[in-house]
Amino acid sequence: MVVRTGLLTVLRGVILAGAVVLGGCSVYSVPGGEPAPVESPTDYTPGNVESPSTPSAPDRPVAPEPNDSNAYGSLLSRASAATDRGDYEQALALLERAQRIDPDSAEIYLHLAATYTAKGDGTLAKATAERGLLYCHGQSQCDALRSYTR
Amino acid sequence: MSGVHSQPMTRTHRPILKIFVSLSVVAVLLLVYLDARITATFIDKMWELPAKVYARPLELFAGAKIAPDDLAYELEILGYRKVTSARRPGEVSRAGNRFDIYTRGFAFADEREPARGVNLTFNGKRVGSLLSAGKNVDLMRLDPVQIGGIYPQHGEDRLLVRLDEVPETLVGGLLATEDQRFYKHLGFSITGIARAALSNARSGQVVAGGSTITQQLVKNYYLTPERTITRKLTEVVMAVLLELHYSKEQILESYLNEVYLGQDGPRAIHGFALAARHYFDTPLEQLGLHQQALLVGMIKGPSLYNPLRNPERARQRRDLVLGLMVEQRVINEEHAVIAKAMPLGLNGNRLVRNSFPAFLDLVRRQLRLEYRDEDLTTLGLSIFTSFDPILQRQLERSTTEVLNQIDSAAELESATVVTRFDTGEVAALVGGRKVRYAGFNRALDARRPAGSLIKPAIYLAALEQPEKYSLATVLADTKVSVTGPGGQLWEPRNFDRKEHGDVLLHTALSRSYNLATARLGMELGLDNVVAMLRRLGVDGPIPEVPALTLGAGEYSPMAMAAMYQAIAAGGFRMPLRSIRDIVDAEGDTLHRYALAYDRTVSLQAVHLLHYALREVVREGTGKGVYRYLGENFAVAGKTGTTNDGRDSWFAGFSGDLLAVSWVGRDDNGATRLTGSTGALKVWAHFMSRSAQRSLGYRMPDKIAPQWIDDQSGYLTGEGCPNSRMLPFIVGSEPGQRSSCTAGKKSSITDWFQSLFGGDK
Repeated sequence: MVVRTGLLTVLRGVILAGAVVLGGCSVYSVPGGEPAPVESPTDYTPGNVESPSTPSAPDRPVAPEPNDSNAYGSLLSRASAATDRGDYEQALALLERAQRIDPDSAEIYLHLAATYTAKGDGTLAKATAERGLLYCHGQSQCDALRSYTR
Repeated sequence: MSGVHSQPMTRTHRPILKIFVSLSVVAVLLLVYLDARITATFIDKMWELPAKVYARPLELFAGAKIAPDDLAYELEILGYRKVTSARRPGEVSRAGNRFDIYTRGFAFADEREPARGVNLTFNGKRVGSLLSAGKNVDLMRLDPVQIGGIYPQHGEDRLLVRLDEVPETLVGGLLATEDQRFYKHLGFSITGIARAALSNARSGQVVAGGSTITQQLVKNYYLTPERTITRKLTEVVMAVLLELHYSKEQILESYLNEVYLGQDGPRAIHGFALAARHYFDTPLEQLGLHQQALLVGMIKGPSLYNPLRNPERARQRRDLVLGLMVEQRVINEEHAVIAKAMPLGLNGNRLVRNSFPAFLDLVRRQLRLEYRDEDLTTLGLSIFTSFDPILQRQLERSTTEVLNQIDSAAELESATVVTRFDTGEVAALVGGRKVRYAGFNRALDARRPAGSLIKPAIYLAALEQPEKYSLATVLADTKVSVTGPGGQLWEPRNFDRKEHGDVLLHTALSRSYNLATARLGMELGLDNVVAMLRRLGVDGPIPEVPALTLGAGEYSPMAMAAMYQAIAAGGFRMPLRSIRDIVDAEGDTLHRYALAYDRTVSLQAVHLLHYALREVVREGTGKGVYRYLGENFAVAGKTGTTNDGRDSWFAGFSGDLLAVSWVGRDDNGATRLTGSTGALKVWAHFMSRSAQRSLGYRMPDKIAPQWIDDQSGYLTGEGCPNSRMLPFIVGSEPGQRSSCTAGKKSSITDWFQSLFGGDK
């Protein structure tokens, strides 16, 4: 999960390259492929990828932003520990708190889906993973979520 | 000898003995009864504790998106004191974008957030750094704002405190003022009673109390306020019983929690801990000497010595208490002089409690589905909600500002529901133009036709049948008449009273064409439309009549919020939640309202609908939102207008927030508004200031974009006449192709092109 920032850099590179190579063609997600860039002109969360040609919004910070996952990382590890000892309610409470901090983190969706599965709630695990697919980045993360949707 | 006299003796003395015996029995029974009353209630279960309702706690971490002024507002309504150097819990000092906060800490259900000093700097509208004792803090929560309570009929409210948490000087001051012989007497004071009796005899009435603290406690807790000799006797007896059963410390602690110290509207302030919060917005253990003396002085007459209403009288009384404290050697002369020189030290902050009536109303209704009133008003529950005071403040400002601008005559009303659609939590709510007024809650209780706000449900029902419909399906926007129930002829018209002929499905929705929509709805079948509304989470009656396709029926803004919540979340129905957790008086979680959703609509169909709702604000009836929002900030939404502009609606979402706004008249009279001249403005004003994330675009599996000819609906090439890019569920693309395969590419990028990634 720590590789997220690295992954992001790679992803950004891929999209940059894609934009250059493909010119006017659209870049869109094919099943199992790289996701389409997320349009987020006034936003700069690490979970989102900027389009290279989007003009800068005036209030965008210049310096690299701290990653939200630093903030909720401890919540995720505490949630995992709670799941390991079978305390699913505690785990879910921690994960929901993490999700409020970063609502479009596919990583948190993945944790939630895993916890629902461990708890034996397959229906909710599936629904959660399906929502998470709207936010996933990279094949391994998307595939991990997809595995809960079957 | 006794035998000789026994006969007459019995004859004369028996009745007296009888009377004596029966009186004794009565007295004993009475004692037993009083004793039982005391032991049954004292210490345990002594008080009914109202439920406390809290806002969401503010999460702080480096990178958190919050403006410095919003943090300042949160701290202000939390009652943090502005100081030059924050050294004690509940203090803050601010220098521009740097905040030094000494947090109060809070026992949350899952963990205790410690009280600590933190240094926070901002980088624009984000937290730049967060340090405590020189070390980075990854994540912390401020204490949550208490936004209300759920009080019993009598309105008593209190915060319990343990004796060892009460400052010694306060206890000393209390005894010096109210009961100097407390540790020596047995519950009552002969001299006190004698003195009182004397003055009562002089005045011919029962006026003076002369009560010990034990008597006062008995009087306040067990007895009615009338002043009679019997009641006074009962009081003394019960005081003695109390002293026999319980220690001085237990009695003192109960007194400190019971004593009445003023009124706040319908809420009665009981106990020193709550009074400290109420008058000084400071925890009891942190009160200054001058504040302690002020509270002690108020016992004699909470309204007479109310420092808010009678500051001078309260000050004199305070100084008198300080004098008594010196006399009884609780404090020394020097301390008293300093305390007397102090101002009253009252809380200058706005009281936010119960100033969000619409949201509290929602919380109460959700609570009452599962809890009895009695439990809510007695068990001391803590209710943690999703209320966001910062969003609420902006929503109130936007409502007031826009309504004043469009309706200076103040005839219009308004209501808005704001949710965070990722979690389905209601974050802010306005139930009327007078936002502080706890009257008719239009957000929950208004029942209005929805107009075109309902249309997405019809289009969604169509798009769920990709073998029959796509965004490029040709619909006829031509005159239609339908015979409704009872043989009535229904002939809808377009807003511009024109027919638009053949139009593509996405255009019919984004331009809100009524004729095309009515035809589509009838084609799908009304049962299909009703079923879709149900799947999107609309409860309550839905009339299965042709006019339903244009929003006939009675819907609250909340019902529309439920529907748009499901759409915004990508086709997942979620119950709109206002409560996160309920924690009991011991701090254990009683109930966690867990996140739960259920996919009820095809992900792909909702995806196509999102495209059309984006088009509404880029090209259609909702274009006005970009007079408020930045050009690059993506949102999606829908306008709604009913006949003669009786209702003006707008519903829409960014990447983080969903809001549904309504503007209209309570008497259902006509206005000159449409959805875009009324509710849209409230919505966009609010969103432009509160939404933080642009609406992201992610194509789910089995979706692919195509260039189509926007006139014919045929496949075409980029740059060809009328070309537009539309997403399709794979396999639902138009079968026909225009003669043009490629044209001159425009140098202007359309919004939909950037959507699919090809920016240039």
